[in-house]
Amino acid sequence: MSFFGDVWRWFADGAHWQGPNGVPTRIVEHLHVSAESLAVAALIALPVGILLGHYGRFGGLAINISNAGRALPSFGILVVAFQAFGLGDLPVILALTALAIPPMVTNSYVALREVDPDIREAARGMGYRELAQVLRVELPLAVPLIMAGVRTSAVQVVATATLAAVIAGGGLGRYIIDGIATQEYVMTAAGAILVALLALATDISLAGVQRLLVPRGIRLLNAPASTRAATFKVA
Amino acid sequence: MSIKRSTFSLVAVLGVLAMVAAACGGTSGNGNTSKEKITVGGFKFPESSILAQLYGQALAHAGYQVSYKLNIGTREVVAPALKNGDIDLYPGYAATDLEYWNNKAGEATGDAAATVAKLNGHIDSQGLVALTPSAAADQNAFAVTKATQQKYNLTKLSDLAPIGNQLVLGAGPECPTRPFCQPGLEQTYGIHFKAFKPLDTDGPATRAAFKNNTIQVGLVFSSDADLNSLGLVVLDDDKHLQAADQVVPILRKAVANDEVKSILNKVSAGLTTSDLVALNAKVSLDHQDPDAVAKAYLEQHNYFS
Amino acid sequence: MPGGLFLAIDPWINWNWLSTHIPHILDALTEHVELTAVAIAVGIAISLPLGILAQRNALLRLAVLGFFGAFYTIPSLALFALLIPFTHLTATTAVIPLIGYNVLILVRNIVVGLDGVPRDVLDAADGMGYRSTARLFRVELPLALPAMFAGLRVATVSTIGIVTITALIGMGGLGSLIDEGQIEDFHTPVVVGAVLTVCFALVADLGIAAVQRIAVPWARPA
Repeated sequence: MSFFGDVWRWFADGAHWQGPNGVPTRIVEHLHVSAESLAVAALIALPVGILLGHYGRFGGLAINISNAGRALPSFGILVVAFQAFGLGDLPVILALTALAIPPMVTNSYVALREVDPDIREAARGMGYRELAQVLRVELPLAVPLIMAGVRTSAVQVVATATLAAVIAGGGLGRYIIDGIATQEYVMTAAGAILVALLALATDISLAGVQRLLVPRGIRLLNAPASTRAATFKVA
Repeated sequence: MSIKRSTFSLVAVLGVLAMVAAACGGTSGNGNTSKEKITVGGFKFPESSILAQLYGQALAHAGYQVSYKLNIGTREVVAPALKNGDIDLYPGYAATDLEYWNNKAGEATGDAAATVAKLNGHIDSQGLVALTPSAAADQNAFAVTKATQQKYNLTKLSDLAPIGNQLVLGAGPECPTRPFCQPGLEQTYGIHFKAFKPLDTDGPATRAAFKNNTIQVGLVFSSDADLNSLGLVVLDDDKHLQAADQVVPILRKAVANDEVKSILNKVSAGLTTSDLVALNAKVSLDHQDPDAVAKAYLEQHNYFS
Repeated sequence: MPGGLFLAIDPWINWNWLSTHIPHILDALTEHVELTAVAIAVGIAISLPLGILAQRNALLRLAVLGFFGAFYTIPSLALFALLIPFTHLTATTAVIPLIGYNVLILVRNIVVGLDGVPRDVLDAADGMGYRSTARLFRVELPLALPAMFAGLRVATVSTIGIVTITALIGMGGLGSLIDEGQIEDFHTPVVVGAVLTVCFALVADLGIAAVQRIAVPWARPA
């Protein structure tokens, strides 16, 4: 079909790979905003989830807030952030961070809760104190599910970053939004393909990181657990 | 069931169906009892919704069944919708529409009537017609903040030519391809901007970009109500890049009977640019609805009497 | 914010606007409910047979979960964008990706649910003379219901959120309120749209949980 031919030609056109509206620039913008948001969200969400899971406190509350948080429409959050904070990267990062926190909190909490109580007791019996126990015993066991949460958040952040173009942000969403505005559907399709590839690449590479981080013994034991991510799609 | 009874039932059912068909056929076939349906479309900015409501409500008052498809998008989306009949009418702007429908041939001038005549020359073969342009106009205009104006001592667009490469232009994503927008500034004025930032068509993103100095020059509309209060100064179009952008309804010939044309022309005739500014103010600043604002205007000007 | 230099402070909720626009808001909510309902209904209709078949056949399971899994990773706006040249700016364009996302979640949960039926229960059923189809409908599916309901809840909440994005391709729904507020630089429709979306999602979630309590009395929803 000639439409696919047109899309192929769009990618083959060197002009589309240079300058402020070029593919490399847009990818970098997209990744920059996504990475920052994910990092900030992880810094907040992981300690909270891990601690709550370790002590077994307020779990119900944490999970319920997380679920409510996932019901928040990502488009709505972005527009609210824009209206509150204006133009630029800050509102986008704030919105994306807010969306990235719930899956990581839930998964870390559940991951820590699922550590076998016998193992906890054994660690205590061996003389591990609180922090050491968390770091050396519970966390390694919890890594599969925690990483699944990080992976879920990462893919969601990359997906929602596409919407940033609606509030005059950059990133790959620019091709989609501008294409719809000017009915240049070839550009829209090109942007869509790039976003899809980026999202898939994020998922696959984090799956790789997950493999690396899980101690081999645990991986052999726990193969199905890593797929048990609570995956709500938000964008 | 016996054969007699089933035949009787069949005849009865057919009879009822025939009566229903006659009744339905009667009401829709008779032109006097109900008028045609007209779908009014609009661009994705508030002024277009207001204009669409003005034209639509005037038609509805005369008995037409009017429905609306507002905030569809840019002309690139609205015009095809008119061509394929998704909408029957949209409030266009003479020069910009001419340059769209003639594939950027560069024919528009400052003479609204001549511009519309050329427009009709192009769209006639596609089953469309543009009516009489209104006196009300809404041109593309380029504005800077007061601070920028003072810094470079700017009064007109020509003043931007020597300093263009230090400034960022902001507008809707369609600007780099519109002859009255970025390409026009380059060719007519020799202004080459440092960068272009895609925002929205004279919306909150453009205003926010002015505010935090992401852009120094931005596209606004000459009928905007809030330019003064935002501290924005429109630079004079001294080389007349913008041609006659008078409001003109563009519709499908299929719905353009004499009565429709006269109703729409009457609304256009009474509308002035300052009317537009006032209507825009009510919607953009007071957050009133376009349909309420249009209704109040039509009542005030006795279109409903 | 543009409101800065002049008169009224634009409150986040303008109660006057709210009280005079209830029909408009309800219209948006109705459209939202309709899109969600269609996506979920078709999703269920596709997922049930597909899930059952995939659970029985390892190759099909891999293919279905692999394909829909990849689909799931793709952002919704990108999928809408890819469909526009073919299905234009219509409800079809909106609904196809939504159905695709739902199918992944529902199929995955059906498979997990059916996998989770204990071996001894299956043996007992076989021993009692249940044939394959009867065993499926009378033993396996009822036991898989908790997992299926869990999937339905996740799918529904996700769908409700993503339907807001369809406003960007001209569909209605609560996202159109958000879009409106963005175009007009007006806070209230944005807040109303976002809050109602959350409320609708919570109501739907609790509603499905309630149905689960009735339909599956032996397994409380999580």
